Amino acid sequence: MFRQINFVAVCLVISLVVSANSFAQTPIAIKGGTIYTMAGDPIENGTVLFRDGRIFDVGKDLKIPVEAKVIDAKGKVVMPGFVESHSSSGMSQANESNPIVPYVSVLDSIDPMSNYFRQARRNGVTTVAISPGNSTIIGGQAAVIKTAGEFLDDMILRSEIGIKISLRPVSGSRMSHMARLRKAMNDARRKMEGDDEDEDKDKDDKKSDDDKDKDKDEKDDEKDDKKEEKKEGSTQAGTAASARQATNKALDEAMSALLSGELPAIIYCERAMDVGQALRLIEEYNLDATLVLGRECHKAAEQLAGKEMPIILDSTLVYWDEDPRTDEETKVVVTEVFREQGIPFTFQGSRTGGATLGSSYLWYQAATCVKHGMPREEALQALTTLPAKFLGVEKLVGSIEKGKDGDVIVLSGDPLKVSTWVEKTIVNGEVVYDREDDEQLKRLLGETEAEE
Amino acid sequence: MKHFRWNIITLLSFVVVTSVAVGDCMADGTLYKASKVYTMDGDPLEPGQVLVVDGKIKAVGEALDLAGAAVETVDLGEGSVLMPGLVDAYSQTALASSGQNEVSDEVTPNFKAADAIDFSSKALRRQRRLGTTTMCVCPGTQNVMSGIAAIIKTGKKKMNIVNEDGPLLASMCSDPARGNRARSRPDSIFVRQPTNRMGVVWIMRSTLDKANRAVESDSPFTVVKESLEGKRPLMFVCRISHDLTSVASLADEFGFDPILVGGQEAYKVKEMLVERKYPVILQRQRYDTVRGAEGAELLWNQPGVLAAADITFALSGDDLLEQARFAHRNGLDHEKALAAVTTTPASLLGLEGQVGAIKVGYDADLVALDGEPLELTTSIRQVIVDGESENQNKEK
Repeated sequence: MFRQINFVAVCLVISLVVSANSFAQTPIAIKGGTIYTMAGDPIENGTVLFRDGRIFDVGKDLKIPVEAKVIDAKGKVVMPGFVESHSSSGMSQANESNPIVPYVSVLDSIDPMSNYFRQARRNGVTTVAISPGNSTIIGGQAAVIKTAGEFLDDMILRSEIGIKISLRPVSGSRMSHMARLRKAMNDARRKMEGDDEDEDKDKDDKKSDDDKDKDKDEKDDEKDDKKEEKKEGSTQAGTAASARQATNKALDEAMSALLSGELPAIIYCERAMDVGQALRLIEEYNLDATLVLGRECHKAAEQLAGKEMPIILDSTLVYWDEDPRTDEETKVVVTEVFREQGIPFTFQGSRTGGATLGSSYLWYQAATCVKHGMPREEALQALTTLPAKFLGVEKLVGSIEKGKDGDVIVLSGDPLKVSTWVEKTIVNGEVVYDREDDEQLKRLLGETEAEE
Repeated sequence: MKHFRWNIITLLSFVVVTSVAVGDCMADGTLYKASKVYTMDGDPLEPGQVLVVDGKIKAVGEALDLAGAAVETVDLGEGSVLMPGLVDAYSQTALASSGQNEVSDEVTPNFKAADAIDFSSKALRRQRRLGTTTMCVCPGTQNVMSGIAAIIKTGKKKMNIVNEDGPLLASMCSDPARGNRARSRPDSIFVRQPTNRMGVVWIMRSTLDKANRAVESDSPFTVVKESLEGKRPLMFVCRISHDLTSVASLADEFGFDPILVGGQEAYKVKEMLVERKYPVILQRQRYDTVRGAEGAELLWNQPGVLAAADITFALSGDDLLEQARFAHRNGLDHEKALAAVTTTPASLLGLEGQVGAIKVGYDADLVALDGEPLELTTSIRQVIVDGESENQNKEK
């Protein structure tokens, strides 16, 4: 009996502590703006209410709790924070120098203090999928993170969203590139099948395969391992094998996650010819895939029609294609080519000063789509709901709906207008960017004098 | 020669006017109708019409009375906007790839950019498509004095040089010293001065000095002398604030009025520019970084800040309209942003009265757009140079 009372008391205390903790965050209410919820019609003069990091409610004439901090958004536009579907920014180094590293993760390389995140918040990006770069055959695991936070752990929305594969050869021919990729896939598949058939069958059989495949680094590691093993003496041979297995275990696990469809493949296609190769790989290994497409890949758009896989375009959305023989140039609006095929897609911002002045900004990219024929609504979706769906986080971010993460931006006007600025960026119910406090921007705009 | 050409034009237009007057059925001109016309000469017209005859603007108005004259009418449609062709006061786009920098000498004031213009270059075509109709093609920056710029039209008509004897270009920056080896180093192909910034200024000063004393008419320094005497504009490429002040002190020493090009840090010497009334041709800058060429500290709203101080400036380089959009976004007002890519560069090049505005008698250089020029969602539909139109809709 006493025990039971004790238990109830403990429960009460715990729940009090928990609720005290969660109430530590002051609820926020954004009032009076035009809300593009991206889930239904815009709400004029509406209110968004945040609580415990999430959207508590959205609508007209909401009752605002007294303790809430009210942000007046009269005459302003309130939207879900933008979702960037593929970026290799924010990492200390985007590409691993070993060619086949499906087991590494971007999470080990993300620098929350990177200037990229600061820029992202200033430009309304609240969620980003960070992917390994395009220069490694199997480049590692991508993750979806929020753009605000001091510690990476606070930023992670979904770790391991897929394994990056690049079809662009960095050195050597496309043939050898594909051969190396296939070998890695085949080895992994054989191992998986081997494991299925006979768990006990010792790895010695596969030793010869492994040895061929081994990188220099791993061999060096092995030498070190061996030195240590010698001290131990008698069980030398056994531990050497298990050490090698340990180094390969991560590789095997990652590859089997890829081949079993547990982790999708994020395949970068540089040229149109790579699209066909990607489709072959997808079929051959039964991959669940997202395609990241270089600008020329629009030429293979027909092959992608009706495939229903996430398509992420390069930052070059419009370019002049040149006929190598006649020198004649044709204007190619990449976005329209995909739209004509009925293929849903989203796009990237360029990493560093692209061909056009604003291409590193997602809002600019969306305006470019509209400029060339995309309906506004579709462009706004490509900034929010669509990438959220592509990344498998549509239940958490991408629209302003009850229960979703409190990721919202307040804009000074229409999101696609030249004079519109992000005034506030809210991530997980907290204001993480306020233009009024952006001293760097003020300096850049000459609103305050630069310090000499 | 020039007078002769003018005579022909006058004669031709006279003939045209006569034929219009008698209501000849031949289409002698083109009438462009737009929902809005930014004439850059007073308030925009809404709606507006522009009559183009023989490559010149014949009439501008809200509704022109053509008295039954047979002209081809181009209705640009609902929401369309017409503005003057853009003027780029500092460009290297059209130069043949090997034509930008001379490496055999540091001072080559008599070299002419006009001799190295590749009229078939794709880069030139691209700039036309982006709305640039007049361009001041300047030699590169790796010489202390690199030569004479040429002012061209970007039209398809071959070799359309407006003025092959344009401004003289000088570089007050570290570019001329870049990559040069000291004479003691035998491992370089060109033994060339200067090797540091002091050397740049020293060579500049001695060049100006030689120019002052130049008497022979065939000396390359006579070109420089013309500039010192105010007969030829002198453009100085200078980005960092102390380069701008160096130009000012040389100007005091030798008595000339420079046009500053680049000017990434012009805002730092604002007072000096106001006092001396030096115009600035701003180079294309990025808006996603805080540092520019030579480590210049960028001010995204430099155009707005210069405008507020009443300093004359133009935007220059590739994709002028997009530059004007970003200048506007970052603080420059709408009207001044348009002027910075039309009337202002035109007057800096001495072409006021010919290009930069939609006005009777001006060259028929027009840009037709499907919306407000400074909106990101607006695209260019047609670019007309000297009355010749290029359609933009050839899309795949």
